[in-house]
Amino acid sequence: MEASRSDDPNLNPIRNRNPNPDPTPNPLSNMISSAHIWPTIDGPLGLTEESALDYARRFYKFGFALLPWLWAVNCFYFWPVLRHRRAFPQLRNYVVRSAIGFSVFTALLLAWALTFSIGGEQLFGPVWDKLVMYNVADRLGLSGLA
Amino acid sequence: MDQNQRPRSILDSLGEELIAILTPVSICMFTVVLLVCILNSDPSSSSSSFSSIATAAYSESDSDSSWDKFVGAFLNSLVFVASITVATFILVLLFYLRCIKFLKFYMGFSAFIVLGNLGGEILVLLIDRFRFPIDCITFVILLFNFSVVGVFAVFMSRFSILITQGYLVWIGVLVAYFFTLLPEWTTWVLLVALALYDIAAVLLPVGPLRLLVEMAISRDEDIPALVYEARPVIRNDSHLVQRRVWRERRSTQNDSNDVEVSVVRSVEVVVEEEDVGSRGGSEISVPLIDRRTNQPENSETFLEGIGLGSSGAIKLGLGDFIFYSVLVGRAAMYDLMTVYACYLAIIAGLGITLMLLSVYQKALPALPVSIMLGVVFYFLVRLLLEVFVVQCSSNLVMF
Repeated sequence: MEASRSDDPNLNPIRNRNPNPDPTPNPLSNMISSAHIWPTIDGPLGLTEESALDYARRFYKFGFALLPWLWAVNCFYFWPVLRHRRAFPQLRNYVVRSAIGFSVFTALLLAWALTFSIGGEQLFGPVWDKLVMYNVADRLGLSGLA
Repeated sequence: MDQNQRPRSILDSLGEELIAILTPVSICMFTVVLLVCILNSDPSSSSSSFSSIATAAYSESDSDSSWDKFVGAFLNSLVFVASITVATFILVLLFYLRCIKFLKFYMGFSAFIVLGNLGGEILVLLIDRFRFPIDCITFVILLFNFSVVGVFAVFMSRFSILITQGYLVWIGVLVAYFFTLLPEWTTWVLLVALALYDIAAVLLPVGPLRLLVEMAISRDEDIPALVYEARPVIRNDSHLVQRRVWRERRSTQNDSNDVEVSVVRSVEVVVEEEDVGSRGGSEISVPLIDRRTNQPENSETFLEGIGLGSSGAIKLGLGDFIFYSVLVGRAAMYDLMTVYACYLAIIAGLGITLMLLSVYQKALPALPVSIMLGVVFYFLVRLLLEVFVVQCSSNLVMF
């Protein structure tokens, strides 16, 4: 009826390292017996190891565009990599660096935000009123919906 | 059809998948009700003028008579449904011309707009309401992060399931909240009109959604649109269900199956796949129904209708999330009693739709049953039950 797509690696959900997926039923028994560790938190529904490296590297690089949340998602997604120390050396490199980046950025951001909110007018003077969000929103008319 | 060979197994399997689809719908509705209760508690804001395509024909004001309001609401709904139909036909055309990349790009772009723009507005409203002392730099960074990662989640096909689901629910919440800001009569007539449109679009042979579904089936592709896909259930430890496998195997077993196209998507293939054969046959890959709703500021590719994805998990279009939440949000603007009634009605409707899905094994519209039940229950509670409950409580009889 339609073209066969069984040789498309992206669609192949069988997460074994066998380049030629076995079309006969139950090809997963060998996989179960090898106790394969999935690199992603989704387990067998997630990525294969090869594409995982690509993803981890891309997330890590994109995170430098002021995106600490992307680093956090990277760590969350590849959580098994952090848990099993020996398993994925290259992946682990990127994930650990993402974790460090996220911690540093969050610490800085939190420090700034807390200083701003706790310090208030006493610390900043009239600048505080100019920077605080609800005034900015009023000035720009953003909160005019309700 | 012989999909009822193991009727008990359908119930077994349906239970877990039902929970998997009911949980995000409930979360979405709950969040919208919460937002409505928090942000609309100020009575002076109840008559806000929210202009969108759904109020293009007529904008309601308090001084009009009921008949005027009804006619105006009807005109509004006509305009809205007409624009949705046009948009869906454009989507069908683009899908037919295989502009998949454009559609995916548009999906990512609309997700960014919704999360950034609408999300930002709601956050600003919340900050304003609670006088939260956050500064604009932090706010911009957080919003930017939230939106960009949301675009990644929606755009990329292989992403963390949990995060993708979370972002889809968030997009549904944001859009639904903005729809609840429409005037009251318009909202109710619009919901009913959309339920009718959904039946027509999915079940009629000329309906745009049905065309889209059939094209997707014949090409064996997924429709690029915003769809919530429940996590496929791993059924048996000794045989991890790789649901996506069956789509490739179908081509090799097609000739051996010796059945025609409509029956290929039947139990035989699935049962041959899984030795256990526990899933009686409701897990057929049925493409989604999709449609598009025109937003006030932009249009997005939402999906409505319910079907079964290529991975065998239940897929529910984001449009369904949105309109269920709009119904419940609008009910919340009246009283919490109507919220409970409408919530139960919608969940019952969704359950009925899922059972129909397992019986009919094709893409079904998920709006009509739930919306009709919800609207009926809302008016019943508002007109009849409330009087009863108030009388009873004020006389200390019950409750």
